[in-house]
Amino acid sequence: MDNKVLVKGNFAIAQAALNAGLECYFGYPITPQTEIGEYLSSEMYKRGLGYVCAESELAAINMVLGAASTGAKAMTSSSSCAVSLMQEALSYACSDEVPVVLVNVMRAGPGLGYIYPAQGDYNQAVKGGGNGDYKLIVLAPSTVQECIDYTYKAFYLAHKYRNPTMILADGLLGQMMEPAVFGEYPYPEIDNSSWALTGAKGRDGRAIFSVATAEDKQNQHIYDLFAKFKTIEENETEWEEINTEDADILLVAFGSMTRNIKAAMTELRKQGLKAGMLRPITLSPFPSKRIHELAQKVHNVVVVEMNMGQMVNDVKLAVNGQAKVDLVHRPVGQWLSVEEITAAVNNILEKNYASV
Amino acid sequence: MEQNFILAGFGGQGILFAGKVLANAFMLLGKNVTWYPCYGAEMRGGTVNCEIVISDDEVSSVHKENADCIIVLNHLSFDRFLPKVKSGGLILSNSTLVNVTKSRNDIKYISVPMTDIANKSGYNKLANMVALGILTDIVPGLNDEILKQALGKVLSEDRKHLVYPNLEVIRLGMNYIAPVH
Repeated sequence: MDNKVLVKGNFAIAQAALNAGLECYFGYPITPQTEIGEYLSSEMYKRGLGYVCAESELAAINMVLGAASTGAKAMTSSSSCAVSLMQEALSYACSDEVPVVLVNVMRAGPGLGYIYPAQGDYNQAVKGGGNGDYKLIVLAPSTVQECIDYTYKAFYLAHKYRNPTMILADGLLGQMMEPAVFGEYPYPEIDNSSWALTGAKGRDGRAIFSVATAEDKQNQHIYDLFAKFKTIEENETEWEEINTEDADILLVAFGSMTRNIKAAMTELRKQGLKAGMLRPITLSPFPSKRIHELAQKVHNVVVVEMNMGQMVNDVKLAVNGQAKVDLVHRPVGQWLSVEEITAAVNNILEKNYASV
Repeated sequence: MEQNFILAGFGGQGILFAGKVLANAFMLLGKNVTWYPCYGAEMRGGTVNCEIVISDDEVSSVHKENADCIIVLNHLSFDRFLPKVKSGGLILSNSTLVNVTKSRNDIKYISVPMTDIANKSGYNKLANMVALGILTDIVPGLNDEILKQALGKVLSEDRKHLVYPNLEVIRLGMNYIAPVH
C-alpha cells in the first residue's frame, strides 16, 4: 500500500522499462504516447544509457533492430499511424529472431487517425502489417498496474523467445492515472551469448540474416519459426476469466475495455442473467482453446471493442459455431459505457431468442 | 459505491494539477481512483478538463457520459458541463468568472468567488486550490491534512516549497461559508 503511486500509463510503461533493464530507446514523438519518450530522455541521460530521438519512426524501429541484435534490451514506442511505418522492420525482426520491444499506444481511425483513444490496431498487431509468415507476441494491459506488469513481461518474453513483442495499449490507458506499485523486475535475465552480435573477439564471426537463400533452408527456417510460435502458444497464452463456471453469456473484450465489461457483467448478474467474462491478455498467442471450451457451455458470446469489429473474428474462429457470437462496438472516442453494454446485451438476447 | 468528478476551466487555471491533487487525496483515503484528462488540441487556448472516478470496488469505467459533481472555473465550462451533471448531482462554480443561471432544478448549485478569494490572498493563480478547499465540505474524509500529503506527492522535489502557499489557499476555501442553492 505504501509503495502505491498515482501514475500515468505512459510513465508507468517508461519506468517499468527502466526497471526491466532497458539499455537503448529510440523513438519519435506522437500523441498519445509522447510522455514515454519524454520521461526516458532525461532518465536515460541520467543513467548514461542510450537514447536517440530519431529522425523518423522508420529510423527508430531500425535502430531498435540494430541495438537488439547485440542482445541489448532495446525498445521504441509509438502510436497507430507511425506504428504502420514500422511494420517492415517487425517482419525482419521476427525472421531475424531479434528481441525488439515495441509499445503501441493506439489512437483513433485509419490514415493519420485522431488522438482520441481506440482499439483499431488489433488486426495489424495480431495479423501483422509486414510481409511473410510471422507472428509477434502481443500483450494487452488493461490497467496502469498492468502497464507495469506486462512491460516487465514483454522484455522477458522478447528475450526468452527472441521474438519481437508488442505492448498494445490505447490513448485512454496511456493518458490516465491510477494507483500502481512498481516493485522490481521479476524475471530472470536471459543468456544471449550464443547468438548476440557483440564483436568476434575470441570467437568466430557471426551474422544474422532474415533469409536463407536456398529453398529447403528457407522452408526449414519458417517451419522452425512456427515451431517456436507453437511453444510460445503452449507456454505463454494468458487470459483472465470471471464467473465462467455457470455462465450462459460470455462477454469478451481486451485492453482497457476490460473494466467496462467486468462492471457490465456484474450489472447483468444483478438483472438475473448468468453473465461471465473472458479477456485475452496475450492477443497473440490468442486463447482460442479456452474460448472454444467455454463456447461449448455458453449460448451467447458478446465481443465488446472500440473498432469496427476486429477481435470478434478471432473469437468466431475459436467458437467455431458452438455459440452465437455478437459484436458491441464503436470505432473511436468515448469508451462504451456499462449502461450501453448491458442494454446491448439485452437487445442481443432478445434478438437471438426471438429467432429460435 | 462509485462517484465521479469533472474539473473544468481555462488552460492555465491549474485544472489538471488540482485534479491530480484530488486523485492523490482519494488514493490516500484508500479509494480506488482513476484520473483521465482531456488532452491534445483542446488544451491550446480553450477549455481543459479532467475526470476523476472513485470506487470502493474496481473502477467500472474511466470516462463517463455524466458526473455526480462538476467543478467549473470559467463560464465556457459552466455552459458545456451543466447538462452533464447527473440528476441530484452538484455543480460547483467559480462565481467570479461564471454567470450562474439555474436552468436546471434537479441539481444543487454551489457558487463561490474562487478567483476573488485567490486574488485577495495574494496568490492570484490559485482559484483551483479554493475549489479543493470547498470540496472538503462536500467529500467525506477529505481534509487539509490529506490534501497537504497529496500536494507533496504531486509537486516535484524542486517545487516542494509550493506546498504551503497551495495549502494556505485550500484553507481559505475551507473557511469560506458557501451558500448552497
